Amino acid sequence: MTAIRALLVLAGLAVGVYGALLVFDHSTQDVIRIVAWAMIGVLLHDAVFAPVCVALGFAGRRILPHKWWTPVLVAGLLTVILVLLAIPVYSKPGLHLDNLTVLDRNYQAGFWAAVAVVWGAALLYLVGDRLLPVGQNQVVQQQGPDHVDGQPPSVGAGGQQGAGSGEPDGER
Amino acid sequence: MTGDTKAAAKYTLRGTAVTARVGVALGVAVTICFVTGLISHFIQHPQPWFFWPTRPVWLYQFTQGVHVISGIALIPLLVVKLWSVYPKLFERPIIGGLTRQLERASILVLVGSMIFQLSTGIMNIAQWYAFKFFFTTSHYAMAYVAAGAILVHIGVKLPVIRRALGEPLEEIPTGELMPHRGPSRRAVLGGTWLAVGVATVLTAGQTVSWLRHVSLLAPRSGQGPQGVPVNRSAWAAGVLRSAQSPDYRLTVVNGGNSKAFTVAELAAMPQTTHRLPIACVEGWSATADWTGVVLADLVKAVGGSPDSDVRMISLERPGPYSRTVLPARHARDSMTLVALKVNGQTLDLDHGYPCRLIAPTRPGVLQTKWLTRIEVVQ
Repeated sequence: MTAIRALLVLAGLAVGVYGALLVFDHSTQDVIRIVAWAMIGVLLHDAVFAPVCVALGFAGRRILPHKWWTPVLVAGLLTVILVLLAIPVYSKPGLHLDNLTVLDRNYQAGFWAAVAVVWGAALLYLVGDRLLPVGQNQVVQQQGPDHVDGQPPSVGAGGQQGAGSGEPDGER
Repeated sequence: MTGDTKAAAKYTLRGTAVTARVGVALGVAVTICFVTGLISHFIQHPQPWFFWPTRPVWLYQFTQGVHVISGIALIPLLVVKLWSVYPKLFERPIIGGLTRQLERASILVLVGSMIFQLSTGIMNIAQWYAFKFFFTTSHYAMAYVAAGAILVHIGVKLPVIRRALGEPLEEIPTGELMPHRGPSRRAVLGGTWLAVGVATVLTAGQTVSWLRHVSLLAPRSGQGPQGVPVNRSAWAAGVLRSAQSPDYRLTVVNGGNSKAFTVAELAAMPQTTHRLPIACVEGWSATADWTGVVLADLVKAVGGSPDSDVRMISLERPGPYSRTVLPARHARDSMTLVALKVNGQTLDLDHGYPCRLIAPTRPGVLQTKWLTRIEVVQ
């Protein structure tokens, strides 16, 4: 294991240094721009995006009922991804009038339609969750993949005819 | 990360079990993206050891489509991976010892290079060059930086990764565990795979034609003149006049031997039609019926050898993509055409009128348009 780890680290250093040398093949001005782009990306993530997510998660857990957390969490993640994917196309910043085959969709309608579908699905999940027998979902959500319920007590000699209450399947 | 005693008392959504599982997916996607990216690089910057076949004709369409699709799939994976370790951002002490500083520096390089690669990649496919550095060389260089940082990270974290993957995803419920009624880690992982699927479906239509109608955020719908999208217009290339000039000739040169063809003369030569994809480095592709003269016939007309590379030169002013060298393997291939028509119609100016190169398994940027000169490389 130690040998494999050492090998991975050494190989990584070699590949990374080669990449750094390729970066430094650019003009000094471009090297600064490239490094700045990467560092601004980290800064935006660490100082803006991550704290906002933490704050939203903190607020959400206090404001929203427990049953809402799962669909809101998943829909929230999907919305973040939709926003990230929409940034380069939403207002078509790369549009050139001589070539209308690039950015040739209505991205604003597409983005909002996708957002509506995501939150509509979250709502459907909530409604569906409510229709399920009370409590079943919460029990199932805490079970690990190896979870097997206790077998029903045997009834007489032909004990297999139990009420089926120990059925481990049907998780969905 | 949360201490063991705390973990026993409170269920946490985050944890190495989630981080490691998303990390494995991230590692697989990065590997695919890196390898397909290298393939595209070495086709454009051939090395003696690099071999690129001419069949199947859709090979580059596949590898570059996979490059962009896996790159986009990395976006949700990176978002969740980073989310799963947020507590590390607020860990104390802030400075710590040398080992801690080194580890933090390697993570900074890792996260910075990944964000760099994904942001420049997704902006490039939408042709949005808000960054002022050259895309291809910087994206290529940073790919090695990111790959190296990931290898170091895996090396450092290997014991943690192994342990986390061996453990069940959910913490084993104990009497001390707080009653948990919120989302489970399984929901987080499920949501992650769902996000990967949604990101793929919403953008992959520019490569996978049957997804076209649902790829609402793909930079291209796949439409274009004569059913084929355009990457560089005749206007942008500055060839509007020269391409339509009555003086236009296609000159084929082999050393001292050269022949000039008018458009009519090219059209009078035996015409061949092949169904070939045009696949852009930006990930989009379109398959069309191309009709024209087999390049090997033109090379033969000036006595060129089938073992020679062939230089294709555009009417476009000299620039990075105004000329390309077609390797002999592709130049002698019977499916490589100097096309005059696409989908039964005379080439649109934006598709390279009067004639363009179309060869199997080549990136679109090397399928030279508005050909003016073909040279057999001696």
